[in-house]
Amino acid sequence: MTSTLDALAATAEDTLTLGILDEGAKREIRRATLTAVCVPGYQVPFGSREMPVARGWGSGGLQITLAVIGADDTVKVIDQGDDAGVNATNLRRMIASTTGCADTADTREATIVQTRHRVPEEHLADGQVLVLQVPVPEPLRGVQKSVVECARMHAEGDYSAMWVSLYEDLVRNGMITRTTGYPVLVDGRYVLATTPIPRWDVPRLHDSEHLSLFGAGREKRIYAIPPHTDVRPLTFDDVPFEVEYTPGAACVLCGHDDVFLVAAGTSGAYACSDTEWCARVREADADLTAHRDRAPLHLLPDPATRLTGTTTTTPRPQRARPAPTPGQDWALRVDGLGKVFGAGGADAVPGTGPESGSAISPTTGAIVAAWDVSFDVAPGEALGVIGESGSGKSTALACVIGDEQATAGTVRLAALDEGRTDLLTLPPEARRRLRIDSMAVVHQNPAAGLDLRVSAGGNIAERLTAAGWRSYHGIRERAAELLDRVEVPLSRMDDPVRTFSGGMRQRVQIAKALATEPPVLLLDEPTTGLDASVAAGVLDLLRGLLSERDIAAVVVSHDFAVIEALTDRTLVMQLGRVVERGLTDQLFHDPHHPYTQRLVAAARR
Amino acid sequence: MGYSGARGGLEAILAAEDLVRRARDHAAAPWAPTEQITARFRLAVDRVMGEAGLHHEDTSAAALRQAEGDPLEASHLVRAHRSRLPRLAVSEPVDPDEMVVLRRIVPAFREPDGPQLLGRTTDYTGRLLEQPSGPPAPAPKPDTEVRERTEEQRRPGRFLDLLRKLDLVVDHRRVDDPEPVDITRTPARPPAERSAALASMARAETGALVALWYRSILGPDGDIHEVTLGEVRHGRLPLRVRHPHTGNPVCVGRFRVTEAEAIEDLDGADEDRSRFDVGYGLCFGHNERKAIAMANLDVANRRFGRTGPLEQLLLLTTDGLDSGGFLEHLKLPHYVTFRSMVERKQAMRAAAEAAEGPRVAEPAGQECR
Repeated sequence: MTSTLDALAATAEDTLTLGILDEGAKREIRRATLTAVCVPGYQVPFGSREMPVARGWGSGGLQITLAVIGADDTVKVIDQGDDAGVNATNLRRMIASTTGCADTADTREATIVQTRHRVPEEHLADGQVLVLQVPVPEPLRGVQKSVVECARMHAEGDYSAMWVSLYEDLVRNGMITRTTGYPVLVDGRYVLATTPIPRWDVPRLHDSEHLSLFGAGREKRIYAIPPHTDVRPLTFDDVPFEVEYTPGAACVLCGHDDVFLVAAGTSGAYACSDTEWCARVREADADLTAHRDRAPLHLLPDPATRLTGTTTTTPRPQRARPAPTPGQDWALRVDGLGKVFGAGGADAVPGTGPESGSAISPTTGAIVAAWDVSFDVAPGEALGVIGESGSGKSTALACVIGDEQATAGTVRLAALDEGRTDLLTLPPEARRRLRIDSMAVVHQNPAAGLDLRVSAGGNIAERLTAAGWRSYHGIRERAAELLDRVEVPLSRMDDPVRTFSGGMRQRVQIAKALATEPPVLLLDEPTTGLDASVAAGVLDLLRGLLSERDIAAVVVSHDFAVIEALTDRTLVMQLGRVVERGLTDQLFHDPHHPYTQRLVAAARR
Repeated sequence: MGYSGARGGLEAILAAEDLVRRARDHAAAPWAPTEQITARFRLAVDRVMGEAGLHHEDTSAAALRQAEGDPLEASHLVRAHRSRLPRLAVSEPVDPDEMVVLRRIVPAFREPDGPQLLGRTTDYTGRLLEQPSGPPAPAPKPDTEVRERTEEQRRPGRFLDLLRKLDLVVDHRRVDDPEPVDITRTPARPPAERSAALASMARAETGALVALWYRSILGPDGDIHEVTLGEVRHGRLPLRVRHPHTGNPVCVGRFRVTEAEAIEDLDGADEDRSRFDVGYGLCFGHNERKAIAMANLDVANRRFGRTGPLEQLLLLTTDGLDSGGFLEHLKLPHYVTFRSMVERKQAMRAAAEAAEGPRVAEPAGQECR
């Protein structure tokens, strides 16, 4: 009688070939690899198996190779460009002995080249597969440690943090100092880590004839660059991408300098990292002319053009301002906006508001923070929203911005779909995109709108690169122009914002908000928290900025002095409701509602 | 010339392997058979079963012998061995209430349902080093007569059930019955299901999990607030698979697990402060440290996993093979990447010397961002 376990084993007998990886796993990995080829540059998660080599020792590359290889294949394995290093030797014997394939050192004979840290100097042709071992697949990890946030950035194509890091690098060091694993944009969509091959090899991934497969075993990701895919190193239009270069260095063995060189010995000599290529050069078995044409000699560092030589400013991306729709004079329109924190939604509203003297629902206990808030703002107009702490003004603004999910109402922008689309129906990524150039926010706390570790110019670069600016000089000119306008000394442009005073930080935040000339500007208590004299300066600045621009502004404040200085019309909010509205001047001089009278009295004191 | 580089090639690898074999397998000491290791190094064997995620004592013992006693290396051997084998079946869901306990402690209650069963433990044994000169004398007969255990002693009631009866527990039971995440097929990344976090912890390196647990208490971002252990048990559970021909569940063996339930005192504004929350831990073999850490971290992850770094820490930093492998890979040659780094340093210096840089690098050396 057979046992249950024997019966189970019998079902799998045909697949019981004791290799390194079972056949089911290989199928799974091939499927993930095919997905990766279909979506170039996208990191495909896969059920990475443990290999007889440690995580980090090529377990990802090994899994791909074992999954795609057959007995008819010829495999070449290199580490640092060398066929004879211990790691390469070890992986090669493992692959060859368990699959029955042939192995070679000659790149031309190989059907599969598994590599760590290099692309061979020899041309890789149509039909050849390059398998790269990847220790760290996430190109954004240097600028973002949260994997959830990295996933969001990839999904939305939101790479401005990466651009800012390149900008800051240039500002601080005068050049891009990234070394290996240089980030590239694949097929115009995904940023990928060319991990970690030298910059010298990066151009070989662009429009290649061969297929590149990247395997990260530890992080359980596979990604691919199919043949003839557009692969661009991330750099500004006017800052050339640079490959490694050591003046005067040449290989001590073959004498050539158009190859990637590594230190040879400790006496300052250099040698080819690709040992097989070097050996064939010495045996006169290599096409030197074709190799020289392929070599990235046009990308050697040229201090003359690095930063100073190229002053050609690429034209700024211009936002097409939609022509005003006839009969519609608003830039932002909010109708019946409401926000309830807690249970009940709209059912929680009865029994709350100024008449009831409470924002807490007597039936559900929910807080009705704002309800039935409606207003519109025209281009060139500033609207004030005033109320005490807890009156709901900031909540209403947060719902317009998208930081809070509104319970009721509609929010429309003239700049979006001629005002036909309700912002509240848009997914979060679409609302985030609107904040790049359609609706800017100035927060009470500058830290909410700025990255304090980044320079003043870099903070502005964040907004500009998100809007598509790719000229380093163009970005610097624009940032300087903005900082000059908000009266931040240009000598401070390259200093981290954390070294700035509160008033100066707020000026930088205002400059950033205006960087893309958004048609709508939302200001949440822009001067609260500043010294009175500093606040007065910022207020003066804002008044000037609003008067010289055709911008629609909403200013939220508890302070009538701020509202009076900046706005034309005003809403007064109390316990979540609008209790009075009118021209700011009239409200200030002749307040009707007792609550407004109290606010005015407080401002006059 | 003068370039040789650190190139060993096959010869060096074979020589290194030979050195290991000679010293380990041909040492001047008696061979350690597998049953010797499972009998005398039970806790090491159990730890490897847990961290490898494969319950088989003999496999684990063989791995420990080959790994010269390094539990992480042994776990690697077992997992790599598992990668070679097909998956024949998926077991039927396991009901921990079926556990026949070998040990069971309820610290939070003096007289819970069922016994407080100390079992095989050194918890109350003075930690005095014994240095016997030879094997002990034959074991004396036990003083007390061994009695057959009652059903209640074999399968005591669960402390959590008592808490539920007293209505002292926040109920997280779901009415749907989602398929648990198989983290060996779908990589666990935040945001992840609870089952993915539990599976990750069950396979985690014990030291890493305990360190994370301790960090959650003493660390700057501590997420564990009150540590009361509800119950910890060690016992045997039946494993059932469906017969390939009849489709009926068949018990094919038993496996040992450690199970823990940890009580957390809720104090958050949005939390039910009139009740407790209970976290769950379960791992292969006898490993109470791991099961208890897991149970506490389960609650902490539910409460704070997404608002702080805990979920990412749990899912991505506690696997011993991942962290150990990445650390060990630093021993591989890195001279291509290092060359590229040196080149940028030299280029930066050349630019500064030519005074063409727009700005001197910040002396503080702040990370670019």
